[in-house]
Amino acid sequence: VDQQLNLLQGTLDMLILKAVSLGPLHGYGVLLRIQQISKNRLEIQQGSLYPALYRLEHQGWITSEWGESENNRKAKYYRLTVAGKRKFQSEAEKWNRMVDVIAGILRTAPEEV
Amino acid sequence: MTLWSRLRCWLAEILHRPRTEEEMDAELRFHMEAYAEDLLRSGVPRQDALRRARLEFGGIEQTKEQCRDTMRANWIEDFAKDLHYALRQLRLSPGFTLTAILTLALGIGATTAIFTLVEAVLLKSLPVSNPSQLYRLGKDPDCCVRLGFSRPAEYAIVSNELYEYLRANTKDFEELAAFQAGGTFLGVRRAQSANPAETYFAEFVSGNYFSMFGLNAYVGRVLSVPDDTPAAPPAAVMSYRVWKQSYGLDPSVIGSIFNINDKPFTIVGIAPPDFYGDTLSNVPPDFYLPLATEPFVKGESSLLSKSSAGWLNVIGRIRPGTNVASTETQMRIELQQWLRSHWSEMSANERLDLPKQTLNLGPGGAGITTMRQQYGDWLHILMLVASFVLFIVCANVANLLLMRGMERRQQTSLRIALGARPTRLVQQALTESILLSLMGGAMGLVVAFLGTRMILHFAFDTTTQVPISAAPSLPVLLFALAVSLMTGIIFGIGPAWLATRVDPVEALRGANRSTRDAGALPRKALVILQAALSVVLLSASGLLLQTLRNLEHENFGFDRNHRTVINIDPVLAGYKPAQLPSLYSGIHDSLASLPGVASVAFALYSPMSGDGWSEAIYVEGKPEPGPNVDAGSGWTRVSSGFFETIGNPILRGRPIDDHDSDRSRHVAVINETFARKFFKNEDPIGKHFGKAMGSADDYEIVGVARDARYADFDFTKPPGAFFFLPQSQSSEYGDPNAASTELRSHFLHDIVIRKQPGATLPDEQMRLALASVAPNLPVGRIQSLDQQVENNFSQQKLIAQLTSLFGTLALVLASIGIYGITSYNVARRTNEIGVRMALGADRMNVVRLVLRGAFLQVILGLMLGIPLAIAGGRLLGSQLYQVPGWDPAAPAIAVGLLALCALVASLIPAQRAASLDPMKALRTE
Repeated sequence: VDQQLNLLQGTLDMLILKAVSLGPLHGYGVLLRIQQISKNRLEIQQGSLYPALYRLEHQGWITSEWGESENNRKAKYYRLTVAGKRKFQSEAEKWNRMVDVIAGILRTAPEEV
Repeated sequence: MTLWSRLRCWLAEILHRPRTEEEMDAELRFHMEAYAEDLLRSGVPRQDALRRARLEFGGIEQTKEQCRDTMRANWIEDFAKDLHYALRQLRLSPGFTLTAILTLALGIGATTAIFTLVEAVLLKSLPVSNPSQLYRLGKDPDCCVRLGFSRPAEYAIVSNELYEYLRANTKDFEELAAFQAGGTFLGVRRAQSANPAETYFAEFVSGNYFSMFGLNAYVGRVLSVPDDTPAAPPAAVMSYRVWKQSYGLDPSVIGSIFNINDKPFTIVGIAPPDFYGDTLSNVPPDFYLPLATEPFVKGESSLLSKSSAGWLNVIGRIRPGTNVASTETQMRIELQQWLRSHWSEMSANERLDLPKQTLNLGPGGAGITTMRQQYGDWLHILMLVASFVLFIVCANVANLLLMRGMERRQQTSLRIALGARPTRLVQQALTESILLSLMGGAMGLVVAFLGTRMILHFAFDTTTQVPISAAPSLPVLLFALAVSLMTGIIFGIGPAWLATRVDPVEALRGANRSTRDAGALPRKALVILQAALSVVLLSASGLLLQTLRNLEHENFGFDRNHRTVINIDPVLAGYKPAQLPSLYSGIHDSLASLPGVASVAFALYSPMSGDGWSEAIYVEGKPEPGPNVDAGSGWTRVSSGFFETIGNPILRGRPIDDHDSDRSRHVAVINETFARKFFKNEDPIGKHFGKAMGSADDYEIVGVARDARYADFDFTKPPGAFFFLPQSQSSEYGDPNAASTELRSHFLHDIVIRKQPGATLPDEQMRLALASVAPNLPVGRIQSLDQQVENNFSQQKLIAQLTSLFGTLALVLASIGIYGITSYNVARRTNEIGVRMALGADRMNVVRLVLRGAFLQVILGLMLGIPLAIAGGRLLGSQLYQVPGWDPAAPAIAVGLLALCALVASLIPAQRAASLDPMKALRTE
């Protein structure tokens, strides 16, 4: 059974950057995109999304502008900035290294120690 | 993100705040609607979809607040909101607001008033260019005239010759200027004016005086070096104050001739308006005259060419980058060299003392700081006292805020339950308290202005012009602002923090039924602190009042009642010594004929007038005293009838009377201490002494007067040796200095009048009587002898009065604090009291219950306050007279007063509690 996982502390920012790196998205779109890529295996508090978006925008990793949504409603679209792209790459790299290390530790059999 | 884009973002945040808020709403609305539509599409019924969307989204307001938090500009907005909120809150409870602001205004105002004086007297520099470059001779100010070549501690005032020697040999100074220490009163009359001469205060200054200070004339020109030469036409600079007050800024004054002591001077210019002279004093100079004109004005009593007479202060502008310590060393060597060049003129003792003679250089930016020495101690005490009052004020307001916090508990817990962060609540509460303290500070400035005016009025004689302004200067304003902010934080932070320490669940419980009272301990601690500080202040004011009473009731040895003293200046009017006897007898007869006058006499200076002459004594038939033997005695010169007029009884022999003429033998009357000091176990009557070794047989002692405090201003010591010489007799001295002193001592400056009891004698009548004899004689101050004596402790009087005022203020504030906290407790425990009464407690039990609560704190405060008060008394030690610092009476009275006030303050709420109807009390929520 696919049980939904709670988001690890501090990873939401990275997921948002990934989501908007694929193209401009509004807030709800970011939520859907993450759920879609994760195949609904991640539980994201909807309310926590917006403070994160505001924070990222304030830090300059993403920018926003108002546009039209699929059903012709005004929505705020977020897009990755150049600085954001660099930030995302370095964060992703760090994350991957971390996962490798942790996974390596966890895989270690008792006789290998 | 670049700095610029950050800045732009920040600006946009501030400028477009409403839009961002709207956008945030739109964005979140869009999210929920889009989600609701998706839910709808997946089969959720329409009526449920939006509700579920909202629920799943979570706290919308919390999200928004978190979003706002991410933006930097927020604190400004928070602040604006808090300010707005605080203003509304304060307006909602005007009683609290007014009490808090008034209390704060008193505390901040008192402190600021004292600081205004501290700033003017202790901190301010002279209004001259680059005061930090100025250095002055002398660590401590010295005054007036010092004769001889020996100085007890240091050379602070020098002769003109020594000044010129130092100026010529010290190259580290750009300019080294000299000016008269103490100044002189002169008779001044504008040439061709019909008005008689008026007395003004003048100072002789060196030609480079103004250029050394970097001062230019307001109108005309200042004195210059060429003016300070014997051949130059006499020139003078007038102070702006005199130009304005006496001559209405008349431009024709500049260039016109003024007769100063009947000598014509040209006024060449007006000094800058803010320049009050080189010394902060209550008699700033009205005229500045060149040193070279001193003999011209003073005639035979001139000091300019006397190498052994020190009468000049020295201030110089040092060259940038000079090592002052090495300049000082060099000047000490110069002093020794100069002294050695006068070896032949020195007495044996002076020769022995020569190697010890030294000088010191000190910062001169504040000029001659006589007032610092004079008022420094009591300003420090007053500053301490005022800050105690401020502490009590803080405690009071903090208590008000604590109670307010308790009343708002419900509201606060509700806000926390709704997601408000405690830091924001603290911030909000602090905004409110700082707002209060700033408003209190603004009002405090008014209190300070009025307070300073009052203090100046009482501290300095109203007839003189002390150049201290009560109007707040920039440093004073900054001080008040800093004190306000600090008090706001001090009294605000505790209550603000405590107020947020509530359990959000309480909000849901409805009425606050918990008996736990979070703020009880700090509230009690504050009352204890208030009580303790009040005891300290009250006890200090008790000690000072007792000191004042002791001083005022001191037996001075003469009669202070029904006596009037008139100050005259025969030197100014140009009288010659030979004319003096007829002048004095003329004045005597004219004044004695006035109705109500019992007797009239003259003295070189009257008792406790601030003047004092002293001389080394040589007793006939005894060896010359060594250098370390105290052979000094004070003396004065008087007319016949003096002892009877002043009420100083003659214990043995006879007073100075009409038999003593210039042809009879030279006589003297001594006091008891003189007799003990120089004629131990001998009968002094008929013995001889003199003021120089060669004339030890000059005066024959004809009488012994009772010891009187004449010119001894140190009240901790008994009156010193003193003798009286008749005006009618004079001695010849070979030494020019001694001759000059002898000459000057014959110009008697004080007329003492004994009035018949109950008689009134208008000043104008006395002035007319004087004018009828000597129309051009400058007449100075006319005051009662009692007033003259009281002037000597105007400082003690002021400090005692102010400390009492502050002590009373502290007492009132502490009483209000006790009252406030007791009635708050009664209100809070209404329910409990109702239960107790329902269970059978009678009214006395209730009163006792309330009083016990209040008095526990008061007693703790007293226990803390008594040792502090005793410590404070020890600190006051040097300011006290005939009161020991540990005097138990003062703290005892303070404790009694406080206990009484506390009883009254807590009885009122106790009475209220006792008259509660138990049924109603039980029903109160």
